[in-house]
Amino acid sequence: MKPVIFLLAALSLPAQTRVQLPPYTRQVLPNGTVVDLMPRKGVPLVTVRALVKGGAESDPPGMAGLASITAELLRRGTPARTADRFSDELDSIGASFESHTDPQATSIAMEFLSKDADLALDLFTDAILRPTFPEQEVKKSLAEWIEASKAMKDSPMMASSLYFRMFFFGPRHPYGHPARGDELSLQRITRAEIANYHARMYTGANLIVVAAGDFDPAQMGPRIEKAFGAAPAGKPYAWKDAPAAGPASSGPRLLLVDKPDATQTYFWIGRIGISRTHPDRIPVWLVDTLLGGRFTSMLNDELRVNSGLTYGARSVLDRNRLPGAIAIVSHTQTASTAKAIDLALDVLKRLQEKGISADQLASVKSYVKGIFPTERLETADQLAAEIGDLELFGLDRREIDDLFARIDAVTLEQANRAAREYFKPSGLSFVLLGNAAKIRSAIRKYAPEMAEVAINRPGFAVPAAPAR
Amino acid sequence: MFRPPEHWLCYIGKMRLLAHFLPFFFTVAAFSSQFHVSTGTLSNGMKVLVQEDHSIPNVALYFFFKIGSRNERPGTTGISHFFEHMMFNGAKKYGPKQFDIEMEKNGGRNNAYTSRDVTVYTDFFPRTALELMMDMEADRIRDLSFDPKIIESERGVVYSERRTSVDNNNGGLLEEQLNAAAYTAHPYGWPVIGWASDIESWTMDDLKAHFRMGYAPNNCVMVVAGDVTADEVLALAKKYIEPIPRHDPPPPVRTKEPEQQGERRVVVRKPAQLPIQMFSYHVPRSNDPDFYPLQLLGRILTEGRSSRLYRALVDREQLAVAVDRSDDVSIDPGQLVLLVQPRSGVDPAATEKVLLAEIERVRTGGVAEGELQKARNQYLAGFYREMKTIAGRANLIGRYEVFLGGYDRLFTVEQELEKVTATQVKAMAQKYLTEKNRTVATLVPEKGAAR
Repeated sequence: MKPVIFLLAALSLPAQTRVQLPPYTRQVLPNGTVVDLMPRKGVPLVTVRALVKGGAESDPPGMAGLASITAELLRRGTPARTADRFSDELDSIGASFESHTDPQATSIAMEFLSKDADLALDLFTDAILRPTFPEQEVKKSLAEWIEASKAMKDSPMMASSLYFRMFFFGPRHPYGHPARGDELSLQRITRAEIANYHARMYTGANLIVVAAGDFDPAQMGPRIEKAFGAAPAGKPYAWKDAPAAGPASSGPRLLLVDKPDATQTYFWIGRIGISRTHPDRIPVWLVDTLLGGRFTSMLNDELRVNSGLTYGARSVLDRNRLPGAIAIVSHTQTASTAKAIDLALDVLKRLQEKGISADQLASVKSYVKGIFPTERLETADQLAAEIGDLELFGLDRREIDDLFARIDAVTLEQANRAAREYFKPSGLSFVLLGNAAKIRSAIRKYAPEMAEVAINRPGFAVPAAPAR
Repeated sequence: MFRPPEHWLCYIGKMRLLAHFLPFFFTVAAFSSQFHVSTGTLSNGMKVLVQEDHSIPNVALYFFFKIGSRNERPGTTGISHFFEHMMFNGAKKYGPKQFDIEMEKNGGRNNAYTSRDVTVYTDFFPRTALELMMDMEADRIRDLSFDPKIIESERGVVYSERRTSVDNNNGGLLEEQLNAAAYTAHPYGWPVIGWASDIESWTMDDLKAHFRMGYAPNNCVMVVAGDVTADEVLALAKKYIEPIPRHDPPPPVRTKEPEQQGERRVVVRKPAQLPIQMFSYHVPRSNDPDFYPLQLLGRILTEGRSSRLYRALVDREQLAVAVDRSDDVSIDPGQLVLLVQPRSGVDPAATEKVLLAEIERVRTGGVAEGELQKARNQYLAGFYREMKTIAGRANLIGRYEVFLGGYDRLFTVEQELEKVTATQVKAMAQKYLTEKNRTVATLVPEKGAAR
């Protein structure tokens, strides 16, 4: 393949020729566990990261949060350690232990100083492979998480994001519930369900383990293989299909979440987008960055810089296994709600009608390539996340190694085709969170059907019938 | 101009001396030995610190201006932060929006932050854009322009920022009230973002006066970390930045907060699912012998699930859902703030009682050796996490230089932590965590309109 030396020298843009994933080894253990090791000298930190396939989509109906709370409970009791002892040991070395559930996987990651690898690995493998889920800890965790779910309602930013997910995907879609559950779903979860979930899902067929950082592979490799190789092979998780009627396929529709004391309206405007592995993902990413993925984006320029209506306007491009949303996200003081939304919709219409220019394409290519090393390849934890991602989605290292060449290869025509195809101002789902009494009449024009819910209503679901 | 490499060798020597009786230091020393900072000063007084790192072809360029909300006056609170916004809105050579447009099209991105003490401009870009960055930074430091229409538009942006981070953010709102009560005289009492009525009233003259007051090159430290050489940074700084003339730095902040002589209490009532509580204690400025002992005390109290307050409030009594702490660096005497989020329906008096009892346990019984060593390790692990990125390193170098007496104290973190004793930590609790020194702010959930 011909090396790309300089890009568009006439425009004096920087020559960021290519990036590469650093070297790493990959093996598949007899029980199916995938183990990737990326030793690198440098800052004396190591990240080990385990991915359990399934994620939020594997929550049974009515039990939103099961995958997530199972991961929470890993550290709360094993045959060798009580929850307290785990915390004592973890904190004594200043290490971190975090779990996170996204739509397709649960990740459990530890970051620790190289010198503490022995104890850290012990904690990591013990928690993931041998949790006992003591009844008392289960009760405590569920109670804490119910509180955390309520606390989300006090943050309009976070609450509007959750309401959007529920409304956009709908309750029948595998992504149509909060990954951490809510006050209602968490109450239905029992110790038996948690233990059962762990037994079914934390098996070789579903596990990916990645280690990156300043470690000795001759030491760490065999330990990881021994520990994770002993897990039962189990059955691979069977991925769900999306329901026949896709999310928000019949827009426009609108959900109004009433928070009477809000002095700003927080809004999400979304439509159906693409999946993580869609063949058009690079042009779509470039167009999305131009729309709302950087400071000089069309949305931020119009809503913040030109008109001072908001502290920030951006776009969100879901990258999940099933097609997700492309959404406009912003906020503005109550009185300028309609003005800001109108402006955002104008930006979308202009993008649809006029597309993007050659200069814009050159600029955004330079931008995404310029920041890429610091966003994705600078630290061990970033690299561990990157590798885990590739494994999860069945991609290989060429996804990174060929990335810059593929970015360079996107033509103006391809980019504008992506703009026309995916950034349409139609089929839109609106979620607005704010003072309903003050904005209700101004926003009716955006959708013939408007659902309304009070923020204090438990959970994040939309009531079946319109409120009152 | 730049200190010769002996500094680096000296540092290595010191580390090796310690290696044989503290094996912990060995791997840490090996990394630290690569962490070399070159230093120089331009003839206009700007100090320049450079940390070379060629692992990725990127650069972090930070400008620490020693001006913040502590330099403000009632009536124009928030002007430092507003000014920070205006720095992106056009100067002489690069007009409105050009700073961001040029940066992004050259593969860079930027940000900035304002605190009580400093205004920091942060640039992240591929090394090929270094000269462009020096040119653009020099342009706005010297010749920032003030367009009335842009001022109005940016006022709207900052007001939106205030609504987002304070008015519609229960924690932000409570913190604002906490600080206003904790400080009766010193400028740390007013919010960095500014009171709403001040936001509404800023004038162009306010901005110009602020520019003249704070943006002297001699009032600034430039920090560069990444794929550069010290020589090339120096050469470009001399070409673009050195010609900017020095002038008087901001006048000294004269007001000292008088010693607090009794507990203060604040209540905020607002619709909320969960209450919030904050406990503020006055502590010395960061450049003080008590800094590390207080940092370790703070961690023993709130860092991790084995911490005193987490264990008591979240785990054992199950009254709270979270605990946290704020112990930011400060130029003037600052605060150690303990935060608790009680569960819904819990009376904050109950969480307060447990928290104060735990503090009393430390004051009377002290802390265990194991806890102290844990806190040291937590501090160091956090330190290394910041060192992971060129951005983190630039921020760390700048922070140590401006707040902790000099960037070279970065190299002695481990020794300084090792010197802290359990007796000292107990003494910190006895000296600072007292009723008289305490301000308590509570957000009490108010029932909203029935629906």
